[in-house]
Amino acid sequence: MTLNLCVLTPNRIVWDSEVKEIILSTNSGQIGVLPNHAPIATAVDIGILRIRLNDQWLTMALMGGFARIGNNEITILVNDAEKGSDIDPQEAQQTLEIDEMHNLACLFVNVK
Amino acid sequence: MAMAALRREGRRLAPLISPRTITAVRSSPLYPTLEDEGPLGVRHISTQVVRNRMKSVKNIQKITKAMKMVAASKLRAIQTKTENSRGLWQPFTALLGDLPSADVKKNVVVTISSDKGLCGGINSTSVKISKGLHKLNSGPEKETKYVILGEKAKAQLVRDSKKDIELIITELQKNPLNYTQVSVLADEILKNVEYDALRIVFNKFQSVVSFVPTVSTVLSTEIVEREAESGGKLVDLDSYEVEGGETKGEILQNLAEFQFSCTMFNAVLENACSEQGARMSAMDSSSRNAGDMLDRLTLTYNRTRQASITTELIEIISGASALEG
Repeated sequence: MTLNLCVLTPNRIVWDSEVKEIILSTNSGQIGVLPNHAPIATAVDIGILRIRLNDQWLTMALMGGFARIGNNEITILVNDAEKGSDIDPQEAQQTLEIDEMHNLACLFVNVK
Repeated sequence: MAMAALRREGRRLAPLISPRTITAVRSSPLYPTLEDEGPLGVRHISTQVVRNRMKSVKNIQKITKAMKMVAASKLRAIQTKTENSRGLWQPFTALLGDLPSADVKKNVVVTISSDKGLCGGINSTSVKISKGLHKLNSGPEKETKYVILGEKAKAQLVRDSKKDIELIITELQKNPLNYTQVSVLADEILKNVEYDALRIVFNKFQSVVSFVPTVSTVLSTEIVEREAESGGKLVDLDSYEVEGGETKGEILQNLAEFQFSCTMFNAVLENACSEQGARMSAMDSSSRNAGDMLDRLTLTYNRTRQASITTELIEIISGASALEG
């Protein structure tokens, strides 16, 4: 029995195929979903979704949204999602630094 | 508007044409049939006038052809986005059900229209449906308010429903449409308007020639609970255990807001597609009409020219023969 996973964002369908197991991070912690899970509807926090296909784990970054699990069908609707393989670590590091500087600058502006 | 002006010019032109030329023109619906036979004064029309008209018609044809191509390219750009966003609202409908017939006290009709004109009749159909919904849902306890997106619907609805309008938003398409912009918009609407049910009226893009006016309903959480308890289609919702966050109500509220912004995003994209498609077909028929008109004017011009040449020749020849004889 396999789960059917569908990850949707407003701009495109990020993932639509069968998986063995997923680990999802919700508001109240991380949950693991195996086939024949009880039906739940939950909010998804900004975090990492791990997908297992045949003993190989894939990661995807999610920007918050909702998930519905029932009947071996998982539907995850998020504001944005990026596959781990698509993220360039150098670029991400640079963006992080720029954002941190930006945050500091905003703090200064507010204080003034 | 331009074509109506041209038609008026055509009608002005027709009585001046000589009776012998009327038979060719009578078959076209544009020129009215003439009852009286005017004098054979083809000289009354100067070729200059016809030439001016031909120039302006040709310019209009060029402009409308260019507008059609611009609309076609814009359509291609938005179409892929629209198709990708279509899958978004389906899980919501699967979970929360689709109840367009839910009986609610406070209805809010969100009408989506275009900012620019020359796009056929899609804005008028949206406004007609919005007015219909308003009429349907007005009664002793019920009330309907409007939220308007786009200049065209604003122009039509401000005229007679001014007091029912809550929010007007224009110039949506200045920047290319993206989800963040629409979700901010949805947030604004949800903050400022009290609602039990939100009905989004837009034109769904089925193909380049077919646009279907549709209404998507998003219900507030209280109504969803009420419907779930009363049974019917929403019983499924209860079978799901809701996790994450403190109360089920809070999650459902969050979910409803997300559903609204996703449906809005899809609706705005579909409407933009329909607008470009409608503009394409309107400009296409306009340039074809201009081409037809140009053909008729060319015939008129040639006949006028030949007739004036013939008249001159006759005068010269009769003058010459009078001199001889």
